[in-house]
Amino acid sequence: MNAISSATRHQHFSIARISAISSNTLLELIRLKVFYFMLIFALVIIGSSFFLVKLTFQAQFQVLKDVALGAMSIFTWLLAVLSTAMLLPKDIEDRTLYTILAKPVPRLEYLLGKLIGVLLLLFVAISFMSALFVVVLYAKQQSAIAELVARSGSDGAAAEIRSILSETFTWNLVPGIIFIYLKAALCAALTLLLSTFASSTIFTIMVSVVIYIIGHVQPIARDYVVHSHGASSATIVWLTLESLLIPDLSAFSLVDDIAAGTAISMNLFLQTAGMGGIYVIVYFLVGYFVFWFKEL
Amino acid sequence: MNRQSIIAVMMLLAFGAARLTFEQRLSTELRAAHFHGARLDLDMREQIGQMAFLAALSGFRAPVADGLFLHAYTAWENVEWGRMKLDYDAATSLQPRCELFWDTAGWQMAYNASNAAFSDRNQPREALRLKAQREYFKLGEDYFLHGIANNPEKPSLYNSLGMLYRDKLKDHCKASDIFKKYSKLSGALTYGERFSAYELAQCPGHEREAYEKLVELYNRGENERLPTLLKWIRNLQDTFNIPAEKRINIPPEKP
Amino acid sequence: MPSDRAASPFSVSTPAISIQNLTKEFSIPFKREKVTAVKGVSLSVEPGQVYGLLGPNGSGKSTTMKIVLGLVSPTAGKTEIFGRDSADVESKEDVGFLPENPYFYKYLTGEETLHFYGKLCGLKGAKLRDRAKELLNLVGLEEAADRRLGGYSKGMLQRIGLAQAMVQEPHLLVLDEPTAGVDPAGSREIRDLILDFKKRGITVLLCSHLLGQVQEICDRIGILHRGALIREGRLDDLISIENQTEIILENASPELLAEIQSLVAKTPARILDQRKPHTTLERYFLEVTGSK
Repeated sequence: MNAISSATRHQHFSIARISAISSNTLLELIRLKVFYFMLIFALVIIGSSFFLVKLTFQAQFQVLKDVALGAMSIFTWLLAVLSTAMLLPKDIEDRTLYTILAKPVPRLEYLLGKLIGVLLLLFVAISFMSALFVVVLYAKQQSAIAELVARSGSDGAAAEIRSILSETFTWNLVPGIIFIYLKAALCAALTLLLSTFASSTIFTIMVSVVIYIIGHVQPIARDYVVHSHGASSATIVWLTLESLLIPDLSAFSLVDDIAAGTAISMNLFLQTAGMGGIYVIVYFLVGYFVFWFKEL
Repeated sequence: MNRQSIIAVMMLLAFGAARLTFEQRLSTELRAAHFHGARLDLDMREQIGQMAFLAALSGFRAPVADGLFLHAYTAWENVEWGRMKLDYDAATSLQPRCELFWDTAGWQMAYNASNAAFSDRNQPREALRLKAQREYFKLGEDYFLHGIANNPEKPSLYNSLGMLYRDKLKDHCKASDIFKKYSKLSGALTYGERFSAYELAQCPGHEREAYEKLVELYNRGENERLPTLLKWIRNLQDTFNIPAEKRINIPPEKP
Repeated sequence: MPSDRAASPFSVSTPAISIQNLTKEFSIPFKREKVTAVKGVSLSVEPGQVYGLLGPNGSGKSTTMKIVLGLVSPTAGKTEIFGRDSADVESKEDVGFLPENPYFYKYLTGEETLHFYGKLCGLKGAKLRDRAKELLNLVGLEEAADRRLGGYSKGMLQRIGLAQAMVQEPHLLVLDEPTAGVDPAGSREIRDLILDFKKRGITVLLCSHLLGQVQEICDRIGILHRGALIREGRLDDLISIENQTEIILENASPELLAEIQSLVAKTPARILDQRKPHTTLERYFLEVTGSK
């Protein structure tokens, strides 16, 4: 008999394997009709613009931007949490996890493929919602300009037309949309981490929701810990643990101020976006650590 | 909890400790850049209710503020000035960077509410109606001033405040000062300096200064030589008896 | 499958599966005591064998199988696949696994399912497409290749499961209840496939409660009970009754039968039973339903 030789050359890290898992995850999540969420979002933003006819154009655009971006924020977050929470439990229940990990697929690649699949879904969702938002905003802008011109003529309404053009879509909104995506990506990575601990999807979702709410009041806890005077030790310990464990989601909630016209500098944008990226990486790595030891 | 879970929690705590200082610094920098200026405290919770407060805390501050803004509009339609003010107070607290809210609130108080107070048929005494009207002027002024404090780089609130000083409060000195500040901001319209000069001309003790400013504007060229500017120069030249050779030749107004 | 399939790269002395003193304990949440699922199990499966791992529910079969596949880590002992530690991802290059009652991804077609698993094994392009077609042909699912798995019957799901297990041409197959819930015709097809794999030299580790099928296809068996290996060896050696002999005669006349009886009567041996042999219920069912 021949001497022992490798039947196949094993790649210790394979982009192709990760890509197969992530594209399959994206397909799985799209087929779960999560895009119906986007239909609801579309209805919300289109519907909201029709109820505002009594307001000034400036007010109409402000409300439209706020409602649309708020809807994008909540739907992206919901997509992130709900779709991630069911990934591992479903694969375990259907035993597809065993068929995948019985192949030469390291657990790291499996988990990374799942996370990338969710991040791709969020990207597709937010791109669609942003495109729709821009279309509605543009349509509203053109309708407002037409109304002004009909009323006062194009010369008479020149200043107001300039004002309308500056009120509608500006490139300043792009960082805001990126932060919406980053916040959802962070929540997805955190939910994936939770699902490596938890045995039930409902538990994972509930904890994710609680963390989402607490994460937005994180600065209050942090300020109290850093600047506290006279608080009891139990309070300090509790708030310290809370500020160390829970992510600061308010740091990414900048779109409200951006929609109101506050521009963000490149330096601040990079710092905040970088922090978001680090959160995603750290949560993924901790989740991988837990998953590595998980008895399947 | 098994050993791996405990180690995972320790890893998260370590990450938390590592990011604490950076996030504190980032938070400070963001506040300095006019982010996160919203007041979310127990008073706010009393004002807007638990669910709205929770929504505002959970990152939906802007839609909640918009809802209050729309509610204020309805209050205006129903002539409920008190309710309207409460809604504007909450909306501007939630979205202090939205100049529209400050501007609308100030305008509603200084123009609509003040007018309604002056025309109030239920109040037969004119003195009291005037008093109420002035109180609304002050409320409007407060909104504009707080709006400017939260949005120092946005010109529209300066413009609105200037108009209020000029048209309602008749405080030409303050109007001049505000229009001057307005004119220095990016996005301000070209009339800022002219309006500042017109108001300065009506501010006691500053007429000479106003005249010099008006001449400077005149010398900039045709774009500045609008009828109102020419009228003011002519009037001030007469007031100061400027010698003919030093005067700017402005033809008299046609009847 | 093509006859130019690569020969096993492993030396003839390397067992396909080697389990040495394997022990696995599970902790119970909030309690100190542990559950011992597998206790000191040692066995070896040689290349080319069909090995049946049997035992009642809770005997440790699934746990043993998962440890062999590297899905669960042992508390003590060692498992190897063709000489490589089961915990190494590399060891899975040469293993195909079909779990009990698998669901796979319902929204994928049969062909897409094989493409997905093929990509996980490093296959791509034309080689992957050809391999998928070949496997679909092998398991008799070429007609259903474009149909989503959500529309497959239980038997079809098991067959696509076998196909995905074979996608990277492994030398070892681990099958957990491959015919559970499948009708007799489908069950026969799957059993014939396993025998075909055996002929090609593929080692098979089979867990099943259907002892009749195990008896038909396995060379060796191991019986687990409460985590311990209580019996292990060649099937024929284990189940043959030493002091009895079975002779089946065709067209024997009554006179011949009488003569045989009188011959036996002269010896210490005795005839325990004399009757018409039965066909199996399975064969009878297949005959009357017209299945092959």
